[in-house]
Amino acid sequence: MSTPLLEVTDLAISFSHPRPAVRSVSVTVDRGEVVALVGESGSGKSMTARAIIGLLPDGARATGSVRLGGDELLGLGEKAYTAVRGRRVAMVFQEPQTALNPVRTIGWQIAEALRAHGGVRGKAARARAVELLTEVEIPDPEERLGWYPHQLSGGQKQRVVLALALANEPELLLADEPTTALDVTVQAEILALLRRIRDRTGTSILIITHNMGVVAHLADRVVVLRQGDVVEAAGTRELFAHPQHAYTRQLLAAVPRLPEADDGVRVLADAPAPTGEVAALEYDDVSVHYGSRMRGRVLPAVDGVTLRLERGQVLGLVGESGSGKTTLGRLAAGLVPLAGGRVRVGGEDLAGLRGRRRADLRRRLAFVHQDPEASLDPRFSIGEAIREPLDVHGVGSRAARDQRVAELLDAVRLPASFTKRRPRELSGGQRQRVALARALTLDPQLLVADEPTSALDVSVQAEVLELFADLQQRLGFACVFISHDLAVVNTVADHVAVLRAGKVVEHGAAARVFGDPAHEYTRRLLDAVPVPDPTVRDATGPALHEQREQIA
Amino acid sequence: MSESLLDVAAPEASDPDDQFDTRRRPGIWTALGRGKGLAGLILIGVVVALGLLAPLLAPHSPTEQIPGANLVGPSGAHWFGTDEVNRDILSRTLYGIRTDLLVVFLAVPIGAAIGILVGLVSSWWSFTDVIAQRVFDLVLAFPTLILAIALTAFVGPGLRTVFFVIVAVELPVFGRLTRTSVRTVREMPYVEAAHVIGAGSLWQLRRHVLPNSLEPLLVQLAVSMSVAVFIEGAMSFLGLGVRPPQPSLGSLIRDGVRNMYDAPYFAVGPLALVVALVLGLLLVSQALAEARRR
Repeated sequence: MSTPLLEVTDLAISFSHPRPAVRSVSVTVDRGEVVALVGESGSGKSMTARAIIGLLPDGARATGSVRLGGDELLGLGEKAYTAVRGRRVAMVFQEPQTALNPVRTIGWQIAEALRAHGGVRGKAARARAVELLTEVEIPDPEERLGWYPHQLSGGQKQRVVLALALANEPELLLADEPTTALDVTVQAEILALLRRIRDRTGTSILIITHNMGVVAHLADRVVVLRQGDVVEAAGTRELFAHPQHAYTRQLLAAVPRLPEADDGVRVLADAPAPTGEVAALEYDDVSVHYGSRMRGRVLPAVDGVTLRLERGQVLGLVGESGSGKTTLGRLAAGLVPLAGGRVRVGGEDLAGLRGRRRADLRRRLAFVHQDPEASLDPRFSIGEAIREPLDVHGVGSRAARDQRVAELLDAVRLPASFTKRRPRELSGGQRQRVALARALTLDPQLLVADEPTSALDVSVQAEVLELFADLQQRLGFACVFISHDLAVVNTVADHVAVLRAGKVVEHGAAARVFGDPAHEYTRRLLDAVPVPDPTVRDATGPALHEQREQIA
Repeated sequence: MSESLLDVAAPEASDPDDQFDTRRRPGIWTALGRGKGLAGLILIGVVVALGLLAPLLAPHSPTEQIPGANLVGPSGAHWFGTDEVNRDILSRTLYGIRTDLLVVFLAVPIGAAIGILVGLVSSWWSFTDVIAQRVFDLVLAFPTLILAIALTAFVGPGLRTVFFVIVAVELPVFGRLTRTSVRTVREMPYVEAAHVIGAGSLWQLRRHVLPNSLEPLLVQLAVSMSVAVFIEGAMSFLGLGVRPPQPSLGSLIRDGVRNMYDAPYFAVGPLALVVALVLGLLLVSQALAEARRR
C-alpha cells in the first residue's frame, strides 16, 4: 500500500498552562479517505487541525511530526506554509456566516482564492469559479457569482465556503464542525455533498466533529480523542459495532436517539384527554410580528398558533431556525409583545395583569437560557445567583434563603461548596445545572427551557437531560422545552409541536409524532437527522440524494 | 445508565478547558500591583504625599515674601529658586499641588458621578435619552478652552470656574460611555434572567447592569483625571484659573513663562510635578485598560 497522504505522529501541543492541549495524537489519512476526529470540548481536536494547517495560536508549542505526502509541515516558516495552505490543505470553518467577506461578491472571493496561488485570472478565473460553484451544486452558478453572501442561505454559504476551499484542488480538506451551525435538513445536504466531492475528486477529508451521527454518515475511519490523547481509532462500522474503549462506549451511549420503527413500547393516546383542569399554559391563536407596521415591513414570527399544555407535562417545540419556536417560548415567559391572540399561564392572561398580580404570576414562571455562560452574572457567586429570586421577592429570612440554596444545589447534584464559586470556575454542564437550580428556586409551575443543552457536550447533555427529567417528575412542573435537536426533545417531552415558518405543522404525543409522523415536513426533518449507525447510512444513501433533489 | 454517565462527568472538572476556568480571572485591580500600574500608583502617591505634607515640607509659607531674594536661582536655601515678588517657588509648588489634587480627585469624580447617573437614566428610559444626548452634543461641540472662556465670562475667573468647567467637560464623556456600556450589558441573558424572576428595573440596574458596566468607566476616570490636570494648567495659564496669590501648578508655569528670560529655571519644578502626576495617571489608566482586555 502506498504511503498515507497525511501522517501525524506523536503530535503534542502545549501552552504556558501546565496541562498540554494535545498530549500525543497520531492520525493518518489515506488518499481519498474520510477520517473523523471525534471528541468533546477540550479534547484537542481543533488544535490538532490547526497544527496541520499551521494556524496555531500565538504561544503554542508543537512537537512531533505532521507529514503531508511525505513533506514535514511542522516547523515550516510562515512563508513556506503559505504555499501549502489553500493549495495542498484547505480548511472549511464551522460558521459560514463569518468565513465569507460580507462586502465582496462570491465571484470576487473565489477569484481571490485562485489569485493567491498564482492561478488563473480574468475570463479563465470566471470560468473556473462557475465550475467550482457547479461542483458544490449551487443552482445558476453564472448568476450567483455576482451575489453577496447575505443573499445566500446558510447552507448555500457553506457551499461557497467549500468551493473556496476546493479552488486550488487541495489534496486534503480539513472541515472543522462544518455542519454544526446548520439546520438538520441542510446538514444532511452538506454531508451528502462532502461525500460526493470525495467520490468525484478523490480529495481526502479530515472532519472534526462532536456529532456521532455525522461521523456515522460520512467517515470511513474514526479517531476518538479525549483530553489530548487518542483513545481509540478504528473503521467506522467497526467502531460503532464494537467500541473497544469504555469512553467510546459512553460517548455512543450518551447520544440521544429517535425512536426506531419497532420501538412500539411508548404507545400513548394522541390527544391528551381534556382533564377539565386549568391548563398550565394555553396559546390561543397567538401571533407575534417583528418589524414595524409604520415602516411597512411586518414579519410574522408566530402565526396563529393554538396549543395547550397540561399541568406537569412537558411540551417539546421543535423546528428549524426561523420556525418561531424560540419566540413561542419567550412569549410564555412574557418576554415578547403579543400581536394577536391570548397566552394564559395557569388560566390567567399575562398581558391583562398589572402590578402585584402580575408579579405573583411571574413567580410561578421560570426560564432557562441556552447559553449558561451568559445567563449567569459573572460577578455573582453561585449561591447569590440561586438566592436572587428569593431576594427579589423578599421570601423568608436570610438563614432560610441560604437553606433553600443548599437544598437546590443538592437537587441539581452539585456540592454545597459551590455556593462560594463564580460561574467562571464551573464547566458548561455545571453552569447549566446552576441555571436550572435558579429557575427552580421559587417552585415554578411552568418552566420554559430554550435550547438548554445545545451548548453542551453529548455526555454532559445526557446527564443534564437525565437530571432535568428526574426533577420534572419529582417536582411536577409543566415545561415548554425548545430544541432544534429532535432526539433531545424525544427523550424529555410528553407532547411535541413541530413548527415551520411560525405555524404548527403537527402536534401530538411525542412517541406518535416521532414514531409515526403524519405530516410530510415532520418526516423530512426526521429523515435528515444523521443516525449514529453507519449501517443505516449505507441503506439510506440514495434516498438522501433523492431527498436533496426534492428540497432543491 | 445514569451511573455510567456520572462517571463520564467526574473527570469533567479536569478537562483542559475547565482548568482554564478554575483559575479565577484576576480582577482589574490586580493590575495596579505590578508593572505599569504600580509605577503609576507610586508616581501619583509621591505627588499626593508632597501635596498633603506641604505644611510640613515647605520651608516657607506660599505667600511669604523673603527680603532680598528676588528671582534667585536654585540654591540650598531655595531649591527651586524664588519668584519676582521674593516668594520661595518650592513652597508655592508644594501648596500648588493641593489645588490640583482638589481638581483631580474632587471635580473629576463629581463630574463622573453625575455623568454616570445621567447615562444610566437615559439608557434605561428612552424619553430622557433624546434630551440628554442633544445636551451632550452641545457641550461636546465646544473645544474645552472655548467652553472655559465662555463660562468665565459668566462666573468670573477662579478655582470655582475650573471646577465648573471640569464637571461640564467630564459629564458628557461619562454620560456617553455609561450609555454605550449599559446598552451592551442590558442585552446580556443574565439581565433578562433577572427580569424573568420578577426583578424590577431598578434592581436590574443596581445589581447587574451597573456593576458589569463599571470597568470601562474606571479606565476613563484615570484618563479624565490626567486631562483635568491639563485643563487646570491651561486655564490658570490663560489667567482664567486660580487667582493670585493662591498657587496652583498651572499658574506657577504661567509665572515661569512670563519670567522665562530672567529666570529660565522657574517653571522647571512645577512642570516636573505636572508631568509626574499626568504620567502616573496615564500609566494607571493604561494598566487598567490592558487588564480589561485580557
